[in-house]
Amino acid sequence: MSRYAMVTDLRKCVGCEACTVACNAEWSVPAGFARTHVRKTEIAGTFPNLTSGIHVAQCNQCDRPPCAEACPSGATSQGADGIVRVDKDLCIGCAFCVAACPYDARYINPATKKVDKCDFCLPRIARGEQPVCVTTCTAHAKYFGDLEDRGSEVFRLVYAEGARRIETASVAVGPNVYYLGKPESLALVATSFPPRAPRLPAAGEAWRMAVRPLVMLAVGATFLGQAVAFFTQLAKGENDFED
Amino acid sequence: MTGFSRRRFLGTAAAAGASAAATTAPAVSAHPPGWHGGERVLKVATHCEMCFWRCGVLASVSEGKVVRLEGNPDHPLTQGRLCARGNAGTGLLYDPDRLKFPLLRTGKRGEGQFKRATWDEALDFLALKLDAIKKEHGPEAVAFFPHGIGSRFFGTLMKAYGTPNSAEPSFAQCRGPRDVGYSLTFGQGLGSPEPVDLEESKLIVLIGSHLGENVFTSQITAFATGLSRGAKLIAVDPRFSTAAAKADWWLPIRPGTDIALLLAWMNVLIAERLYDQPYVAKNAQGFEQLAAHVRDFTPEWAETITELPAAQIRETARAMGQAKPAVVVHPGRHVTWYGDDTQRARAMAILTALLGSWGRKGGIFLPTPLAPGGIELPDFPESERGRADGAGGRFPLASEELGVTNGLVDATLSGDPYPIKAWIVYGQNVIESIPQPKRTLEAIEKLDLMVVVDVLPVDQIDYADVVLPEATYLERYDSPLFVGSAKRPFVAIRQPVIEPLYESKPGWWIAKQLAKRLGLEGFFPWDTPDQHLAALVEPLGINTLELHNRGAIAFPGRPYIEDRSPDDEPLFNTTSGKIQLFSKELKDLGADPLPRYTNVTDPPKGFLRLIYGRAPVHSFARTENNEALHALMPENEAWIHTRTAAELQVHDGDRVPFENDEGARSLPVRVKVTEGIRRDCVYLVHGFGQRSKGLRRASGKGASDTSLMSRVKVDPLMGGTGMRVNFVRPVKA
Repeated sequence: MSRYAMVTDLRKCVGCEACTVACNAEWSVPAGFARTHVRKTEIAGTFPNLTSGIHVAQCNQCDRPPCAEACPSGATSQGADGIVRVDKDLCIGCAFCVAACPYDARYINPATKKVDKCDFCLPRIARGEQPVCVTTCTAHAKYFGDLEDRGSEVFRLVYAEGARRIETASVAVGPNVYYLGKPESLALVATSFPPRAPRLPAAGEAWRMAVRPLVMLAVGATFLGQAVAFFTQLAKGENDFED
Repeated sequence: MTGFSRRRFLGTAAAAGASAAATTAPAVSAHPPGWHGGERVLKVATHCEMCFWRCGVLASVSEGKVVRLEGNPDHPLTQGRLCARGNAGTGLLYDPDRLKFPLLRTGKRGEGQFKRATWDEALDFLALKLDAIKKEHGPEAVAFFPHGIGSRFFGTLMKAYGTPNSAEPSFAQCRGPRDVGYSLTFGQGLGSPEPVDLEESKLIVLIGSHLGENVFTSQITAFATGLSRGAKLIAVDPRFSTAAAKADWWLPIRPGTDIALLLAWMNVLIAERLYDQPYVAKNAQGFEQLAAHVRDFTPEWAETITELPAAQIRETARAMGQAKPAVVVHPGRHVTWYGDDTQRARAMAILTALLGSWGRKGGIFLPTPLAPGGIELPDFPESERGRADGAGGRFPLASEELGVTNGLVDATLSGDPYPIKAWIVYGQNVIESIPQPKRTLEAIEKLDLMVVVDVLPVDQIDYADVVLPEATYLERYDSPLFVGSAKRPFVAIRQPVIEPLYESKPGWWIAKQLAKRLGLEGFFPWDTPDQHLAALVEPLGINTLELHNRGAIAFPGRPYIEDRSPDDEPLFNTTSGKIQLFSKELKDLGADPLPRYTNVTDPPKGFLRLIYGRAPVHSFARTENNEALHALMPENEAWIHTRTAAELQVHDGDRVPFENDEGARSLPVRVKVTEGIRRDCVYLVHGFGQRSKGLRRASGKGASDTSLMSRVKVDPLMGGTGMRVNFVRPVKA
């Protein structure tokens, strides 16, 4: 079992937004939206005694993800590796998960009408690569790895260096995105961009019970359609299935 | 989902591989194919031109389309990292606003009325005009404004045509004073990328450099690495920059008084014997004169000028003394600020020398020059009349290689020393890059011929007679790069990743075609740019196929004094062979042989000093139209201190134009009220407020700092335009 986590060292980060643009390019995120974004705090204090901070936000792959709870179709789920994923085929674009996310990490893609968010670059991880925000980071400020692996850099940064998560007493859903920073700067980031209370659909359970079978039915129909197309193609002798 | 066929894929790869060695068609890299989403893609190595830093790129190509750019892990400088702009390069390639066809002006100059022309029509017309100008006014009447390595073939053409008048803003609007000041002191300038050993440094000193907002990938990597290894940071800046927020000491200096601070630091280092005594004794001349010169420049003296506490000046000087020689006094890049900039660069160089940091680990490291091979060319014609821009004349220390742009504007306006009748502008926006844009436009009005070679319809396009659409950096060969000022020096290639889109053409092709029409073909004795490439790189033992495949080939560097070999150039290539703390060259020119603080003029009542800088997602005025980058930063903001805003009765979020004390006015810009700036300044990010209607995303967004620069203070030594001498105020509705 793995428990994947991301650590961003805000002492190194300069807020250059290479991560945002690389991620958008890698996953064809439309301009104006992002799976990971960089925000600067207001400058706090009185001249010349000032503090400011940079926040690098992305999906926190929470241990107890409110988005999955809110999802009526079962499209959002959590894997055994802790990564929260979206099955685009099941997503109905209802945006309940967008409202439920305490970290504002989800958006509805206007082209596909489906929800999208950071999944730590799952397909890259599966190929043994690092997430693209990590590989492009100009400041080498991002670390990705497995907290179950005691030899990993993220394990060291979290358990020895004391990287911390951004959560509050009232919103504690077990985020797996951690930050290192100067204490006053990190405190400013945490108070400037706090998680908000998840907004779950009022009649969540009842809604879900009603919708899920409908979605499965719809997906089933789509699958059936594809299967018919496949066999039609076979029958016509066209084969585009070279390895 | 695109189906992937291995057979088709291998076929493409083989064809592209074969062409890489011999033709100008897109090349392919030995980098293994990769993935983009669920799609298999080819990866081609080249290098980025979203700014000028020389970062290595791998382009993912699928079915003739560039689907993704990422860092080249093999690249010695950037090792796979790429900034926001680099990652957004496909946005330039596929920008719908690109110049697509050659254009010839039909309306009046400035109206922006053109007809589409064929390349033959445009080039024939241009050749006729250039021949006529040469006959009537002499070849020197043509002035060339290049930018970037893409312009080198055109540079050869201009020299062959017979004009010495070539000037890029990278000198007189950027790093000229720095390289002149360091050359006077150490016998060589810094070059680009500047060799600052940030990752090994124990103390980094930034004088107005805003690293972090000014992003060059490998420099940010080194900066962040140095900080994470415990380097201390001093940020001297009137604004609470990203770097200031990371600093151990933020010194919000009164603008224009940096020389006083630098002299006070020297005073402490010498008075308290904290300087590197053996290094100075061995390597420097003029120490006694320097010590006498700075004796009275105490921190208490500097406090009254800089508005920084004497105790803080003393404390930071001691921190330098402790960390020496592993101190980077960052020499900066854009340093044309107040007209005394060569002298400020001298002061920074002298401070570097006192700390023993030149050629030392954690300081300024030494370049390892790579000498390109040669191509035999006919002799360039000698100009009888010499340069018109003043380089080597009224600006005695100006670079004759890079030239003085504003000197060419002056000559065009005055006809002195002789009339300038044509401008060829290549890859730069002269309205935004050169201050006093009104004068620039007046100069353009006087021309017989104005030519713009560019990728996008930049601001001066409406004033052009001929517009030639260039291919982007992803569609062309440029002259290969030889980068000595890296710890591992390297040779890098820019090669076409795909064929040029529309009717755009690579710079080398345009230059060669024009040369043919001007009877100057002998200066281009090669058929294809890879033959030119081979002639330059093969003498270094480089296999051109390997260079195409890997993108860059690195060599061992000799970055520190102890690494040097007897065959190297002298360590200090000055007249005395030593570091010149005291400059006899300056004395002979009637200038201060040791830097001296001269009074800075404060803004008149009700006005603020205009300062400006960069944002990490934009380069100059080149990237504001890029879809991905525009989405992140569509416009700039005017930073104003809380109390100043209250006095001037402007509020956070107000949208107001600014005007300067000579009546120049900007487009409206959003006000950002903050504690993070001195009360006497306003700050704008450069590059916004462009007016070209052809840039449909960028046009009219934000305010141009250049539009508010009606005044400059010219550095008498090298012609640089001090640009932080303009005073502005918000104009309320």
